[in-house]
Amino acid sequence: MTRKPRETSVRLAVDLGGLPMANPVTTASGTFAAGREYADFVDVSSLGAVTTKGVSLNGWEGNASPRIAETPSGMLNSIGLQNPGVAHLIECDLPWLAAAGAKAIVNVSGHSFREYVEVIEALEAAGTADAYEVNISCPNVDAGGMTLGTDPASVQTVVSLCREATDRPLIVKLTPNVTDICEIARAAASAGADALSLINTLLGMAIDARSRRPVLARAVGGLSGPAVKPVALRMVWQVHQAVDLPLLGMGGICTGTDAVEFMLAGATAVAVGTANFMEPAAAVDVVDGIIDYCEQQGVADVNELIGGLRC
Amino acid sequence: MAPLVNEHASILQNRPVGPGLHLLQLHMPVIARQVQPGQFVHMRIPGREGHILRRPFSIYDSDPEAGTCEILYQAVGSLTSYLPSLQEGEVEAIGPVGRTWSALERFREGSATRALLVGGGVGAAPLHLLARRLSEARLPFDVVLGAQTRDALVCLPRYERLCAAAPACSTDDGSFGFAGFCTPLVEERLAKGCTADGNPYDYVAVCGPEPLMRIVCGQAEAAGAYCELSLEKRMACGVGACLSCVVETVHGKKRSCVDGPIFDSREVVWA
Ligand SMILES: Cc1cc2nc3c(=O)[nH]c(=O)nc-3n(C[C@H](O)[C@H](O)[C@H](O)COP(=O)(O)OP(=O)(O)OC[C@H]3O[C@@H](n4cnc5c(N)ncnc54)[C@H](O)[C@@H]3O)c2cc1C
Ligand SMILES: Cc1cc2nc3c(=O)[nH]c(=O)nc-3n(C[C@H](O)[C@H](O)[C@H](O)COP(=O)(O)O)c2cc1C
Ligand code: FES
Repeated sequence: MTRKPRETSVRLAVDLGGLPMANPVTTASGTFAAGREYADFVDVSSLGAVTTKGVSLNGWEGNASPRIAETPSGMLNSIGLQNPGVAHLIECDLPWLAAAGAKAIVNVSGHSFREYVEVIEALEAAGTADAYEVNISCPNVDAGGMTLGTDPASVQTVVSLCREATDRPLIVKLTPNVTDICEIARAAASAGADALSLINTLLGMAIDARSRRPVLARAVGGLSGPAVKPVALRMVWQVHQAVDLPLLGMGGICTGTDAVEFMLAGATAVAVGTANFMEPAAAVDVVDGIIDYCEQQGVADVNELIGGLRC
Repeated sequence: MAPLVNEHASILQNRPVGPGLHLLQLHMPVIARQVQPGQFVHMRIPGREGHILRRPFSIYDSDPEAGTCEILYQAVGSLTSYLPSLQEGEVEAIGPVGRTWSALERFREGSATRALLVGGGVGAAPLHLLARRLSEARLPFDVVLGAQTRDALVCLPRYERLCAAAPACSTDDGSFGFAGFCTPLVEERLAKGCTADGNPYDYVAVCGPEPLMRIVCGQAEAAGAYCELSLEKRMACGVGACLSCVVETVHGKKRSCVDGPIFDSREVVWA
């Protein structure tokens, strides 16, 4: 059964750095493909947007299996950004999303500065993305093989290059695997980002004591789900104080209350990720939960919640 | 393919049937009506919220009129060991997920004339509905079942009711049937090339531990029979979105949840 959020008089529309969203809820990249796989459960046009799986220029094979492990209140993944390349997204997925009436935030990945730009250029030529979310958590040759999102200078360079390639809303997705997330946030902001999204997954590990082996083929992977929510909330709150940009908050959001907590900490919009695996209509549940909260608390416009934390 | 549903399924029965083996009967009318042999449900088990992921289970049997399905499961880890304690209440099941065995289609188009179904351990579960459909259509098939002990051959009575010839069985400890793995029984049947009425097997379906499936696929291919297997991979979404469950194939990586779990043996690239 395809679900959409219930009717309400609460004003739910938000503006995420120039991307108008009918409500503050999108899907987290990599957990919802490009929406089609969830079309039996969710009316994708009823979400604020759909954020698509990370896309590279010519596609990537991804990592060896096993790629996931369940951990207490969370999961580890090392999918390795497997994707069929930007041409496939342009030909198959974005037209489907457009026909379904959904807004598309395209998550962009690259192994080099140049690859990010080429992906955006291909999408600009097609003209079907509503916004870009630049994933700076990929290992990058121009950053000496390390994750470029941990180095402020590399972040500044890649965001500037992406900025030159598009006038559409440019969201930069931050990795939490850094000492000071505010420093990276400032680098992205100064390079022209319209919004920041956070958090990507936290680097973690699971070990099978009996076999004395790592559970994942790649040994380490990204932690997501309810287990990361306190870390994500803390980072959204810190970044909200550090930069003057709208934020897309994520990390363990399962309910409307979770989403409201992120908005109070400073998020303009939120993304639902791992929760989709628990409940396929989780994104709709989150919108409904935000509506419940607003109606119960007498909040007429959801924008009142943004950064409304009382400290 | 029928649209997927997330059905709230009430537990009608959940009882031990063998060593570490349990039979779960659920009321889930939509899935019961639509399920095809070999398909599975992706189940959310309540009461253990720290375990956030669903677990995939094949449909062992279904009764569309009564709106019920049965799952045969083995306690191997945290949730399958906890599940037996749920004697009432609801689980949530996404289904029916995945592709079905191509046996019936192959009989229809004439490329299959006699089928051999090989089930090792709980691998006998996803083959049972196929055996039922073949039997209802009066199509010729035989069954080989392997298990660790006699007590673990819990599917045998149901298969006996469906098969014209008694299933060939093996047990690791020799407590019933052939002593050892079931692969020599498969070899024997394929090597004979024909059965009493002279039909060679041209279709083999296998489900069980991966080493067993690998051997049976090799045996079937050597005998010139088309062979399908049902793979078990760890799954997060169960609907084709997350790429957790990919299998290496000659056509590149495929998702075992929705592009499988049933694969053509010649397609699979073994690790
Ligand atoms: C399509 C499909 C159909 C299945 N049908 C059946 C069935 O009919 N009956 C049955 O008893 N089991 C079936 N399984 C296996 C079943 O899903 C796992 O046994 C179950 O997920 C283990 O959960 P747990 O919490 O008890 O184990 P955990 O504590 O999570 O793990 C224990 C062990 O089980 C392995 N495991 C975990 N998840 C899976 C998984 N998804 N597939 C395979 N192994 C896994 C782990 O690697 C580990 O070694 C099927 C699996 C798939 C993919
Ligand atoms: C299976 C899986 C795949 C992911 N793929 C991507 C990706 O391609 N690009 C990206 O920027 N983030 C990716 N992520 C990270 C999520 O978008 C999100 O930032 C993170 O999981 C935290 O949110 P959550 O706890 O709600 O899942 C992935 C996460 C998971 C679990
Ligand atoms: S389990 Fe998500 S794609 Fe198969």
